[in-house]
Amino acid sequence: MLAYLLNLATLICINAVLAITLNFIMGYAGIFSIAHAIFFGVGAYTAAYFALHASASVFLAIPVAMLIAALISLVLALPALRVRGEYFVAASLGLQVLGVTVFSEWKSITGGLGGVIGIPPADVFGYDVVDPVAFLALAATCLVIVLIATTALLRSSFGRNLKAIRDSESAAHAFGKNVAVIKTLSVMLSSALAAVAGALYAFYMGFINVESFTLETSVLLMAMVIIGGTGTVAGPIVGTLLLMLLPGLFSYMSFLPQTEIGSIQQIAYGLAMVLLMIYRPGGIVGSGTRAAGKGKTA
Amino acid sequence: MLLVQLLINGIQVGVLYALIAVGFSLIFGSTRIFHFAHGATFTLAAYAFYYVYAIAQWHWTLAVVAAAAAAVLFGVALNRFVYVPIQKHEGSFFTVFVASFGVGIVVQNLCGMIFGRSFVSVDTPLSRSVEVMSGVFVSPISGIAIVIAVLFFIGLQRFLMGTHTGMALRALSENPELVRVYGMSPRRLSMTVFALGSFLVVPAALLSAASSGLYPAIGHHVILISLAATIVGGVGSLRGAACAGLLLGLAENLALLYFEPQWSEAISFIVLFLFILFRPSGFFGRATAT
Repeated sequence: MLAYLLNLATLICINAVLAITLNFIMGYAGIFSIAHAIFFGVGAYTAAYFALHASASVFLAIPVAMLIAALISLVLALPALRVRGEYFVAASLGLQVLGVTVFSEWKSITGGLGGVIGIPPADVFGYDVVDPVAFLALAATCLVIVLIATTALLRSSFGRNLKAIRDSESAAHAFGKNVAVIKTLSVMLSSALAAVAGALYAFYMGFINVESFTLETSVLLMAMVIIGGTGTVAGPIVGTLLLMLLPGLFSYMSFLPQTEIGSIQQIAYGLAMVLLMIYRPGGIVGSGTRAAGKGKTA
Repeated sequence: MLLVQLLINGIQVGVLYALIAVGFSLIFGSTRIFHFAHGATFTLAAYAFYYVYAIAQWHWTLAVVAAAAAAVLFGVALNRFVYVPIQKHEGSFFTVFVASFGVGIVVQNLCGMIFGRSFVSVDTPLSRSVEVMSGVFVSPISGIAIVIAVLFFIGLQRFLMGTHTGMALRALSENPELVRVYGMSPRRLSMTVFALGSFLVVPAALLSAASSGLYPAIGHHVILISLAATIVGGVGSLRGAACAGLLLGLAENLALLYFEPQWSEAISFIVLFLFILFRPSGFFGRATAT
């Protein structure tokens, strides 16, 4: 039972990092990406490759993963600068499909569909983090750092610029803000921090394959942010907790057929997305009306 | 010979893509609703056909009627009970998109629970391939697909150009306010659009069920193709969407000459990605993206 709870708590920390970073671009920059799982994946594969071939130290593997993810995120920043709304969603969807194909086909790095096995445990100052409690502490530390970093950034002038761009790009431009640089930086930052979650995941599981980085993951992350409340600090965390605890809750309901739990869970969050959008588009934490995401239609 | 075979397969797949894409493009172009659940309409229609024809073993005409009814009812109900209430309080595209996405997830999992998550295909006498030349296999389904697609396009063109409602639908995509001024109800028109757009996926759903088979997550593929074709063809241009759908089908199959089959979907998306970057208005588009 304790092992189960520790596992759940660690996965919640990792997913919360992803939800917070996705909320950073969705809620504050107005960039609705459904390719977030790709950066999670890039982080995981980079950290795994680095750990297997160079060093398993988190102080080396995580920065390398962040750097690679930030560089690859330029591919996502490019369409974000040129188009908005539906067009950007379509572009990020394209990137997601492309990314999954690369993950499953670039066998020398990603191991293809079989994935990467035998990733060494994370190394912190020469100690191998094998104990689940220690790993939970590591994941929680990363979560707190990411949370503090993003919140601090959003309170700074950078955050105000981002919100200005979200609400009116042309107004921000007219006030002399460099819209292109600010948008690109926010995408790079969000992707780099998502890679932290990827690296943690790779170290924690010791095994990764493409299954964890598909469109379903991107949608689940999007659901976490939206159900919790886009553009709020607490929203993504509430959403993550809810969606991660849901499966456990359903498996306690013995009247449900055990083989269908996965589907029932997905139906529940699909329905939650529909009903929330009809009755409370701001999410659980958000105010009744949606402050974020008044994405201009093309 | 492989080239001829791939060309034939490409055209067969392409005309079906064209039909699906035109349905999506019609809905998106005239109501501006990002109808992600279009894939779910396809899944429902295909499984309705599968259920009535292959499981209940009724006559195929009944199965076709069931599929058409499922698609049209689903499309209209979705508009009435999800999109209209959302648009009442705010029209942000993302809110609509998320709700539509949620519906897609629900339909996919319900179908998975009811019909199983594995591949199923409907075996009809028409599905079997015959060797027409040495090494080239064609099933009667391909011919039927092309004929049906052409008939549907002619019908749609006639409807949009020749009838009063068709004209009103075209007006809706140009300027909904003006439509209201002329005393017509944009809401009633959008119902018509949904019924029509959803109806257009039916032939593609039936023919896919009878040729390549179906699985609960097929809706994802369907919507990806519709989206790609709509944007590559140019939002608001049905002709563009149809051409782009055909092209995507051909490209996907011809790519098999040089790449492994796993890459076919990725190739469509590289094309889409490049279009969004360099020519967001598509081949025939008039709307610009920024």
